[in-house]
Amino acid sequence: MDESLVILIVLSLCLGAGCWLIFIWAVKKGEFEDVEKPKHRMLDDD
Amino acid sequence: MSILPEQSCSHCGISFRWKAIIDSGDDGSQTIFCCRGCEGAYRMICAAGLGNFYLRSDRATPTVSDASAAHYTEIDLSRHIVSEGDLCRIDILVCGITCPSCVWLLERMLVRVPGVEYVSLSYSGGIASLRFNPETVTPLEIFSVIVSLGYSPRPYSVDQSEKEARRERDDLLLRFGTALFLTMQLMVYSYALYAGYFQGIGGAMKQFLQYVSLLVTTPVVFYSGWPFIIGAWRSLKTAAPGMDLLIAMGALSAWIYSVWATFTGHETYFESAATIVTFVLIGRLLELSVRRRAMSGISSLYASAPQRATLVGESEHRTIGVDEIRPGDLLLVRQGERFPVDCLIIEGETEVDQSLATGESQPVLLICGNEVRSGCVNVAAPVTVQALRPAGQSYLMRVAALVQMAQAGKPKLQQLADRVSGWFVPAVILLALLVCAVRLQYSGDSVGTAVMSALSVILIACPCAMGLAVPAAVLAACSRSASLGVILRGGDVIERLASINSALFDKTGTVTCGLPGVIQFDTYSGYGTATVLQAAATVEEQAAHPLARAIVQYAAGCGYQPELCRDFRSVPGRGISGVLPDGKRVLCGSESFLRETGTPVSINCLADGSATAVLLAIDGLLAGRFLLVDQLREGARRVVSELAAEQMELCLISGDHQNTVDRIAADIGVLSAQGGMTPDQKLEHVTTLLQQGRQVLMVGDGVNDAPALAAATVSCSLSGSSDIALENADVIITGDDLSRIATAYRLSRATMTIIKQNLVWAFVYNIVGIPLAMTGHLTPVYAAVAMTASSLLVSLNSLRLMRLKQHG
Repeated sequence: MDESLVILIVLSLCLGAGCWLIFIWAVKKGEFEDVEKPKHRMLDDD
Repeated sequence: MSILPEQSCSHCGISFRWKAIIDSGDDGSQTIFCCRGCEGAYRMICAAGLGNFYLRSDRATPTVSDASAAHYTEIDLSRHIVSEGDLCRIDILVCGITCPSCVWLLERMLVRVPGVEYVSLSYSGGIASLRFNPETVTPLEIFSVIVSLGYSPRPYSVDQSEKEARRERDDLLLRFGTALFLTMQLMVYSYALYAGYFQGIGGAMKQFLQYVSLLVTTPVVFYSGWPFIIGAWRSLKTAAPGMDLLIAMGALSAWIYSVWATFTGHETYFESAATIVTFVLIGRLLELSVRRRAMSGISSLYASAPQRATLVGESEHRTIGVDEIRPGDLLLVRQGERFPVDCLIIEGETEVDQSLATGESQPVLLICGNEVRSGCVNVAAPVTVQALRPAGQSYLMRVAALVQMAQAGKPKLQQLADRVSGWFVPAVILLALLVCAVRLQYSGDSVGTAVMSALSVILIACPCAMGLAVPAAVLAACSRSASLGVILRGGDVIERLASINSALFDKTGTVTCGLPGVIQFDTYSGYGTATVLQAAATVEEQAAHPLARAIVQYAAGCGYQPELCRDFRSVPGRGISGVLPDGKRVLCGSESFLRETGTPVSINCLADGSATAVLLAIDGLLAGRFLLVDQLREGARRVVSELAAEQMELCLISGDHQNTVDRIAADIGVLSAQGGMTPDQKLEHVTTLLQQGRQVLMVGDGVNDAPALAAATVSCSLSGSSDIALENADVIITGDDLSRIATAYRLSRATMTIIKQNLVWAFVYNIVGIPLAMTGHLTPVYAAVAMTASSLLVSLNSLRLMRLKQHG
């Protein structure tokens, strides 16, 4: 039972680390540059 | 602008113009200080018998580490130097400014560098503007001083500052994202450990969970929390304890204690180290975006200035850059163009939209010999003008300079949280040292145990509740205010808003809508209401003037729609004429327009300037008269009565005619009114009130209000105001309802009450917790439960702000 917990914790850390890398990539790419505009964009005509 | 004469502070040596703090010695001598901080420092130094420090000529010559500033060469920097007479000026972008204290420190240290004559640093932009003597000091030496203080300087250009702000924000975002992610992971392990404490847990499992906790907490403390550690180190060096020190102390002591506990088999505190860092980073992120928006305001004002102008030559017209315009040059300004510099109309007449300068939305007729300010728009016809001043000294640039000056000269209020931590931090450190000493001396503990018990005191004393007390209340207040139609720029605004005891209102565009409305309509010469309104609607429909639109609207409200109008003609600033479908000729305009066109005008047309009269003639006979006034904005009376009920001193200030201002003031119930004010007079009015020790709220919308807005304790604008006014506003009212200002004020008062309650609670926690920790009776799990409970209490208490009503 203890072993399965250890495996699950390590697995969750790996999964989290993956998400964290995606987050870093998003920041570097400038996805968070302007968080105001996207929500208005769908209301624009063009 | 005339304010107090320039004085020099006895401690820091800066030259200043605000109200000095004067100490009289026993022998009648006087020492002058720029602020309480300097007064305190001066007393401390003199009390320590170091008074001679002030007589030394080489004092505060900073240690210069040439290596760290080395990546700029003298030649690199020389390109950014502007020569100003005997002195040179350089603008430096300073990175790493996190609080008003940084600005304070940098300004004081830079002005002490021999050869530096003047330093001004704006907190919002992080831009230091220096004037220095090139023979005594080089820019590279100035750079080294900034570096030695722990900040990184760069020569300033607009793009550079934009890039730097972006880099700083990305950096903070990464730190915050990492902290949030790891803290969430950590909470899972912590709850497992809590459960294990009560229900029992295998030693190996506990050890494993603690190791994993250590693994995820370490990056949170040392990567995400690095700005606080740096800030704490900086404040230790300057012996000025602040919030940074408190946070770093709490996080580090929790981490060190927990590492020790992990390896000795005790209970750990990792989650408290991580949550403190995460919560405070949210606040930092919000503050940064607020500062960034404020900065773009000044550049947006520059954007209003036209870049090209048409020079009238003898044979041909030539397009030149605005910078090339010299006073006396003849320029052509076409319809729809902005006036490039302050100038005099010498040929032609036109209507000019001066809203940028006066806030007045109605175009004004200007003829030969009239002066026009830069940035105003030529609406009606092309005119030839003569430049009066070069572009750098034009109206827009003068206002921009006033705004920058007002921002830099604004005394920064120390925030409540910093005031509290200012005495709280030293007290806690002292207590911890005491515990350590007592344990070593009397309990016969080993050095390790003694140090750990001292750390546990610090850890208990820096609870999350303390870190949450202010941000939680501010967050609740900001979201509640947003739903009430008020945007607050950051948490410090709330604190300043709550301290307000004077309120100044701009008239045009703020208390009034800036749009005329018909208040009275009369008919003459036997014409019926129907005939006159029908005629008015038909001809005025063709004109684009705001007065015309108001009349058409009034007629439509009475049920008269415009018909087809023939032969329409418009004389700028005077009136219009047209022929109705039934062949009747209609003239509509000012009294003088009707007289000039041969219509006898017998009635008295209200010459006191409080209302505008538009006359209408049909076939040469006076038929009707419309009286129009600027309409009051919704909620104007309400905001006045609500603020007056709070014992606030109210005043209406405007660039308009005194009669008009008086009438509006009487209408909304404000006792004091001042008309005919220029932007610098408005600014002066604000600074005078500030010098009298009043906390001033300025409400305005125009470019002409911007300097006053920047100087006021709290500034407020309405959505739809000019960019520069919006960017300088701490509070922005969305929608038209002016009474939201009173709501925002009540909200800020309520928030301050909540913050104080939260802080009191955090202290109660400390008062109970610290003695227990000192005697070693507070076991970690109970401490963790108490910590969570007190954080929860503080959060729930803050949520009470969400229930504040629109009208009290």
